[in-house]
Amino acid sequence: MRFSLSWLADYVDLGEGLELESDPAGRHSTRRITEAAQRKASQIGEKLTSVGLAVEGYPVQTFDGGGRAASGAGEPGLEVEVTSNRPDCMCHLGLARELAVALESTLRPPSIPLYGSLSSDGSSGAVVLEDPEGCPRYVARVIRGLKVGPSPEWLRRRLESIGQRSINNVVDATNFVLWEMGQPLHAFDLGTLPGGEVRVRRARAGERLVTLDGKERELDPEVLVIADRERAIAIAGVMGGLATEVTAATTDLLLESAHFDQRRIRIAAKRLGLHTDASHRFERGADFGVCDEASRRCAALLTELAGGVVEEPAVDAVARRPRPVAWRLAGADLARFTGADVDASSIERVLSGLGFAPRAAGDGLWEGEVPPWRAADFEPRRPRPATAAPAGAPGEAYPQDLYEEVLRHVGFARVAPTLPGLGGVDAGVNPGHALRGRVQRALAGLGFAEGIHYAFHDQAADDRLPVVVRAGAPLALANPLSERYAILRRSLVPNLVAAAEFNARHGAPGVRLFEVGRLFPGGAAEEIEAVAAVAGGPAGGPWDGPAPCDLLGLKGIFDALLAELPAGPFEARASELPGVTPGTGAQWLAPGNLVVGWFGRVASADVPFELFAGELLLSRLAVEPRPRRVVAPSRLPSVRADLTLTHPLDLAWSVLAAAIDAAPDPRRVGFRIKDRYRGEGVPAGAVATTITFEYNAGERSLTQDEVNESQSRLAAELERRFGVAREEPR
Amino acid sequence: MSGAGTTSGGAVPTPEELERLAGEAEAAIAAAGDRAAWEAVRVHWAGARQGRLRELQALIPRAADRKMFGQAFNRLKSRVEAALEARDAELARAEIAARASEARVDVTLPGRRPPTGSLHPVTLVLAEIEEIFRGLGYSVAEGPEVEEDRFNFGLLNFPDDHPARDAQDTLFLEDGRLLRTHTSPVQVRTLLARRPPIRVICPGRVYRNDNDLRHSPMFHQVEGLCVAEGITVGDLKGTLEAFLTRLFASDTKVRLRPSYFPFTEPSCEVDISCQLCHGTGCPTCSGTGWMEILGAGMVDPRVLENCDLDPDRYSGFAFGLGLDRVAMNKWGIPNIRSLFESDERLLRQVRG
Repeated sequence: MRFSLSWLADYVDLGEGLELESDPAGRHSTRRITEAAQRKASQIGEKLTSVGLAVEGYPVQTFDGGGRAASGAGEPGLEVEVTSNRPDCMCHLGLARELAVALESTLRPPSIPLYGSLSSDGSSGAVVLEDPEGCPRYVARVIRGLKVGPSPEWLRRRLESIGQRSINNVVDATNFVLWEMGQPLHAFDLGTLPGGEVRVRRARAGERLVTLDGKERELDPEVLVIADRERAIAIAGVMGGLATEVTAATTDLLLESAHFDQRRIRIAAKRLGLHTDASHRFERGADFGVCDEASRRCAALLTELAGGVVEEPAVDAVARRPRPVAWRLAGADLARFTGADVDASSIERVLSGLGFAPRAAGDGLWEGEVPPWRAADFEPRRPRPATAAPAGAPGEAYPQDLYEEVLRHVGFARVAPTLPGLGGVDAGVNPGHALRGRVQRALAGLGFAEGIHYAFHDQAADDRLPVVVRAGAPLALANPLSERYAILRRSLVPNLVAAAEFNARHGAPGVRLFEVGRLFPGGAAEEIEAVAAVAGGPAGGPWDGPAPCDLLGLKGIFDALLAELPAGPFEARASELPGVTPGTGAQWLAPGNLVVGWFGRVASADVPFELFAGELLLSRLAVEPRPRRVVAPSRLPSVRADLTLTHPLDLAWSVLAAAIDAAPDPRRVGFRIKDRYRGEGVPAGAVATTITFEYNAGERSLTQDEVNESQSRLAAELERRFGVAREEPR
Repeated sequence: MSGAGTTSGGAVPTPEELERLAGEAEAAIAAAGDRAAWEAVRVHWAGARQGRLRELQALIPRAADRKMFGQAFNRLKSRVEAALEARDAELARAEIAARASEARVDVTLPGRRPPTGSLHPVTLVLAEIEEIFRGLGYSVAEGPEVEEDRFNFGLLNFPDDHPARDAQDTLFLEDGRLLRTHTSPVQVRTLLARRPPIRVICPGRVYRNDNDLRHSPMFHQVEGLCVAEGITVGDLKGTLEAFLTRLFASDTKVRLRPSYFPFTEPSCEVDISCQLCHGTGCPTCSGTGWMEILGAGMVDPRVLENCDLDPDRYSGFAFGLGLDRVAMNKWGIPNIRSLFESDERLLRQVRG
């Protein structure tokens, strides 16, 4: 939000350096931008930043009109980020109030003439408030006999300096007051209002209104409108209507200065897709107390700029008053909360300057009322049952809200850094987080690079590859960034395949990538933590001597990963899977045949190598909290012996291994596959599998005869069950 | 090589013949030019089962003068063994010499590297942050990424239809839930599930409806929360200083600027002295000497009440920072989106 430094100078003494001039009405302007002025601007900017109004830039508005502009002519400005809790600082007077406290100076509010007004409760008369929640206050002031025309140069410059456009003297006057006092105003052409009456009510379903921007809008009862006896003439707090707009022919005005409910205005602005300076302020909370003052300020300005007479009395309809909020602050509590000693005079100076009017109420204790322009930021304390306040009593501010006001201005630099004492008990380890760390480190150790991808993808990706857990339809985004990101993923693999394709397009001869992340099975099903990996091509350059990845290479990665975790045993079961080349797919099964993942060759991927992928649901692995105990190795070396069995090709290794496991032999401590051979000497449809057995008798040496006996007994058993005759060598 | 027949049927040689055989053996052994020839001649003469020595030894009982034959045989055996040993040593020396010249390797050639992987920059930054907070007595808490409105907003003091929600462009689900816009809902879940004292960090992915060169619709935050009796603004400041001077350079300056978040009161933006120019001003810090690094504040009393904690008794602080920007700064990654496209050429350069 842009502010003009010379405008701010109307209300607070900014000190030397800005080369300000002042006109007879006390309005400041800057004719030249000098280096000193820019330095001064950034000093002021730092002050504002230090109290919570972050100055993000120093735009300079240069003027080219009027023929008087010399080079360097312009206004130094401030670009301020005003947070949504500070609607009171969305105007020059509000910002000046903060600046006055920060500079230890005094605020000089403008002097405003008194024009009479008549109070009403809004139930009847010229102003009827049909929705006291949506519009609790409405000041309607009539000005007659004015002449619409261009604004004087000072006003045009003021508006231009904050990036606004001058329209005519009437509209400019309302905008000036908006940017001065923060109160949005609206001028209706009184001639277009039958009987000069207004009502504030909800729109009727289907009611139509052409707004000032020339668009016809369809309204509904959620939208608050200003209406004449019959039709809506403006969208309350958002935008006026075209039919009642001030034109060059207008002579009489009805000037609206009202208070609208934050929520009601936000709903209307959102529904209509309209965001205006007025709605921006009302949504954040305007100042209930300033309505009449702002109206009088504008009326006076209108008579100055356009002539005319302010009609008295105006109508000040109040249907509902906001509940005041009282505050108390104890210096000792402030010190306890902040850990900083703040002297009493600083507390008083800050709170007075910000309009909290502190009254000393005993030793180190102050109390007062929250000023109405801060009401939105001081939502009162919820009533506590023990101290139920009588109806109509003021609300009670949270002391923390007051601490903040003081601390903002005395500065965090006054707070000495400390570390909290360690109380309580240790919360222990988060098992899911710890498991994720183990998986990440294991896969990085196995040569894979960790990737992170968006949690959303498109419907096609959901259909294209295996999904272990589907709980109905995938979770769909109501407002996706694009169709590509329409649903939440329930497999990590599609994004990894896309990443493999990305790498291949950039010339990679192979990929090794993994990701750990959440899957969203759909419906109310819990999120599942999973890990997935893709691999294809060689893992390094030709010099490093790697073989390109194949299916068992990828499976081996998962074998190695699973071996890291005390869980399982896990088993791979051949399975036809969508998007996986037939004959290469498998499901990972945990004990009890619980499916915990899959792997296989990706049937279609735009990469110049075979691509393999696999996924494991970490949340389902049931990892044991303690590591498994080791088996103490024998002091004596084991004896190894190989056995080659020629068996039918379709005999699964898992069946063979299970048969070996089922043939007990106390001397056998392990076995592993050594080789598989098909070719000369092996009949078609068969394969020769060589298995290395390891024998150990623990405390004593085994004799060759004992090993031979074990081995030949097992060989006979396996031959009998699975063997096929080898062909004689030709 | 002669078989068993020699042992049983051969004539018993004379000592002179044994003497001649010794000369013959020595010559043969000396003539063995390589290890295979040496082994062949060793087997021929000294083979354990069928060597000539063994055959001759078997003849001792049949000799006319067993003593003289035995002595002659022993001389023969010693000479053969000595000759084998000597030739063995010579061959070994020759082999070492030969190997030495063949073993020469160009050590400037690259080693054969086993494949090594890499952790994501965000993972590495988080691990570092975790390490720091573990040391300060914090544990890790996690929560769902698909959240209910009340955890993401309502209980955190974002009223319905309040513009404070605009600052966090939300991705909504069709079922009315949303993708969490910050890790703060884990704060609320922790406060509801446990009683103070509480010290947790809550890392995780967060989502916003924002996608341009500087913003990614998904990024990472870590939230810190400390709630107990008597927690002060000083504790917040001290904790952040301890944290940031460890995560960044030890001489890093930390500055707290008042700001606004609905769930903290007071709130602050926290800046660190620019890590590039050390506070003198450079393009990276837009000449200010400071870099905005995180948001923090004292837990708003309304949030404590929402979690059934009495704000007159308990106080606490919370802070949250984006991991992605820290990672980008640390490794000089120019674009946030390159964190999520898994270009292995980039990922594999990143080392912790």
